[in-house]
Amino acid sequence: MITIVDYGMGNLGSILNMFKRIGAAAEITSDLERIDRASKLLLPGVGAFDGAMKRINSTGLRAILDRKALQERVPILGICLGMQLLTRGSEEGVEQGLGWIEADTLRFPALPGLKVPHMGWNVVTPARRHALIEGLPAESRFYFVHSYYVKLAREEDRLLRADYGLGFDAAIARDNIHGAQFHAEKSHRFGMRLLGNFAGL
Amino acid sequence: MLRTRVIPVLLLQNESLVKTARFGRYTYVGDPCNTVRIFNELEVDELCFLDITATREGRAPNLALLADIADECFMPLSYGGGIRTYEQAEAIFKIGIEKVVLNTAAVEVPGLVNRIADHFGSQAVVASIDVHRTSFGKARVRTRAGTTDAHKDPVEWARELEKLGAGEILLTSIDREGSWEGFDTELVKSVTSAVSVPVIAHGGGGSLAHVREVVHVGGASAVALGSMVVFQKRGMGVLVNFPSPAELVVTLAPEIPRHDA
Amino acid sequence: MSSSDPSIATSGLKVCSRCIYDSRVAAITFDAAGVCNYCKQIDSLVEEYGTGTARGEAVLEKIFLDIRREGTGRRYDCVVGVSGGTDSSYLVYLAKQHGLRPLAVHYDNTWNTAISTQNIFKVLKGLDVDLHTHVVDNKEADDIFRSFFLAGVAEIEASTDLALAETTYRAAAKYGIKYVLEGHSFVTEGITPVGRNYFDGKYIQAIHEKFGTRPMRTYPLMTFSRFLYWSCVARIRKIRPFWYMSYSKEAAREFLEREYKWQYYGGHHLENRMTAYFHSIYAPQKFNSDFRNNTLSALVRGGKMPREQALAEYAAPPHAEPELLSYFKKRLGLSDAEYDRVMREPPKSWHEYPTYKKRFERLRPVFGVLARRNLVPMSFYLKYCFPVKQS
Repeated sequence: MITIVDYGMGNLGSILNMFKRIGAAAEITSDLERIDRASKLLLPGVGAFDGAMKRINSTGLRAILDRKALQERVPILGICLGMQLLTRGSEEGVEQGLGWIEADTLRFPALPGLKVPHMGWNVVTPARRHALIEGLPAESRFYFVHSYYVKLAREEDRLLRADYGLGFDAAIARDNIHGAQFHAEKSHRFGMRLLGNFAGL
Repeated sequence: MLRTRVIPVLLLQNESLVKTARFGRYTYVGDPCNTVRIFNELEVDELCFLDITATREGRAPNLALLADIADECFMPLSYGGGIRTYEQAEAIFKIGIEKVVLNTAAVEVPGLVNRIADHFGSQAVVASIDVHRTSFGKARVRTRAGTTDAHKDPVEWARELEKLGAGEILLTSIDREGSWEGFDTELVKSVTSAVSVPVIAHGGGGSLAHVREVVHVGGASAVALGSMVVFQKRGMGVLVNFPSPAELVVTLAPEIPRHDA
Repeated sequence: MSSSDPSIATSGLKVCSRCIYDSRVAAITFDAAGVCNYCKQIDSLVEEYGTGTARGEAVLEKIFLDIRREGTGRRYDCVVGVSGGTDSSYLVYLAKQHGLRPLAVHYDNTWNTAISTQNIFKVLKGLDVDLHTHVVDNKEADDIFRSFFLAGVAEIEASTDLALAETTYRAAAKYGIKYVLEGHSFVTEGITPVGRNYFDGKYIQAIHEKFGTRPMRTYPLMTFSRFLYWSCVARIRKIRPFWYMSYSKEAAREFLEREYKWQYYGGHHLENRMTAYFHSIYAPQKFNSDFRNNTLSALVRGGKMPREQALAEYAAPPHAEPELLSYFKKRLGLSDAEYDRVMREPPKSWHEYPTYKKRFERLRPVFGVLARRNLVPMSFYLKYCFPVKQS
């Protein structure tokens, strides 16, 4: 059972819908006890970094998430803003991130011809083999919408790379912590493959 | 490399899909949910649904139908038609639709674009501008499904909407719509030169050559197709279709300056 | 494990020694050698039409000549009803190959899959053929489907089949075309025995009147008078080329895949979600009937598949797309409870509703003449104009 954390930000219905379509058991909940008992967590997110971190920190959710991630080490997947929350912090705001991955979230530079946010379908290239991206075809593409990108401190945490003006990390993983910058739930069969892999972890 | 988006635009009338020509005469196209399924199966990049009679009839968006449609959709979905309040936009996002398309309300409800963009982000708001050229060729903005003169110039209005927080502009040529004769590339260019948000060219697309032209000459960041994706050919029967990935690659070759991080 | 008998070979049913029709098939009889009357019927049709012989092909050539001649000066000289499936797609190619100028016609019941629409698109683009479509209003289509579902009868798909027939006639009339080509092949498909399944315009009207809630406005209903009008007044002929020439579905498939990147959808008619529901869920579960025996028997008769393999395939349950059922319920506005309730109700038969059947039987001599002139399909005459033993 995948527990999708509802902390008030994100298109949770679509994520649940995709899990349903691929036949994976999933639930949406904001209930702290349920989250505490989860065997697998999905951290969604659409919106601003600070707003998200403030909500997580103020509701008692933070302590539970830290324990699930760092002690119990259940598989966790952060999607979109959810992936950015896994980092140490973002240029978008002042709050500290969850810091479960050694990385920082930076703003896309103002380059001529480069429209921000990065919005649309883009191809990704795998950096290494990993269960989360197993079976993705060579020319996989995903739907991105973001103005900030994640930059890893350790290259070995990289799973997928994408290119938008500059190269950035589209998917990351370290032990039980995983992140995907794109909207997997809106990337039809590519997203289904990735979420299916997560369900199978 | 970011692909230039090619977006089928589907028009809703009550609970059916239709296709219009010059915002007038319409042809019945089919069932919304089934058509979404087909586009899912064809793996199109994005879908846009516009309810063309909602505003004129003073109706609110049909949330039940939208939920049904959103359930079927595994790619980004935008919806427009009859959205006049923040609460309506909020309800639409909750259903799982990524973006709201605001047309008449952007003109008639000051502050709406701003408020929705502020809370949900610019990328969630598409400002839709319908344009009609007078007999002197002058481009004028029209609202209420093309029935009302908004007394605005499209370029100025696009600039204004960008300032208000719209993340994208859907620019539709009423005169070209359903004509298969090509986009109003001049109109598109006048707007793309004036704003920095993506502009989606719409109205008149009849071939991949038209698509190429409006992207490379007109500067459109994305292209919306209507007739091309619901009819077999110009003047012939309904048949939902979409260019193959190979055709799209050949047609669109986006150029983004590369800088290493 | 099949939902019905584990294996017809061991269930005590009598099975034809040549194909795999068993004693459950309506109006079946077996001769001394155990060969069924349907095999015999196919044999006699093959003899009559000269299927795959020089004689048959000569007849077909003459028909094509007539089509070309009668179509001069018009934009199109024949109509081909298309569904995206093998037979109709290949038929368009065949028409072009023989110098005909076909108009492809499609009836869209709003339940199409991408495979069918893409197949139609690709084949027509490759052959440079125009398409005329009639799309029924989705709410109306669903109302008719729901009516049939609530009526508890087997022919939930009947409205689509009849609508295509009417649509091809209307398109032919609109463009002044005198010939409609159909992709039916009695060799590859067999003649479906009338017994369990039946459809005509009156039947559809009756069921809709009883269970429907929306008026029929965009649905093209073929009433008896329209049927007579098309065949006797407009004199639009129905030609089935595969009755005259040798036709291999497998070879056709390979050709289409190669030439047009056409896609095979697996199984008979699974390019439409309603048909898929009917074949893989509705018919097997409510009626314990499985139409795969038509095509499987045809494959066996034609020597394309070993009989044992056909029996084995038939014994296994049909494949169903995972959430086809939830889509069905959603479209027709049926709650789970309502759906289950109706499915559990005892099945009804077409005998319990008004139809034109008796009228067809009474006018058998007339239709016999019309059939010989290709003004109505011979298969229609054989299926509809003879009394049926109640099953």
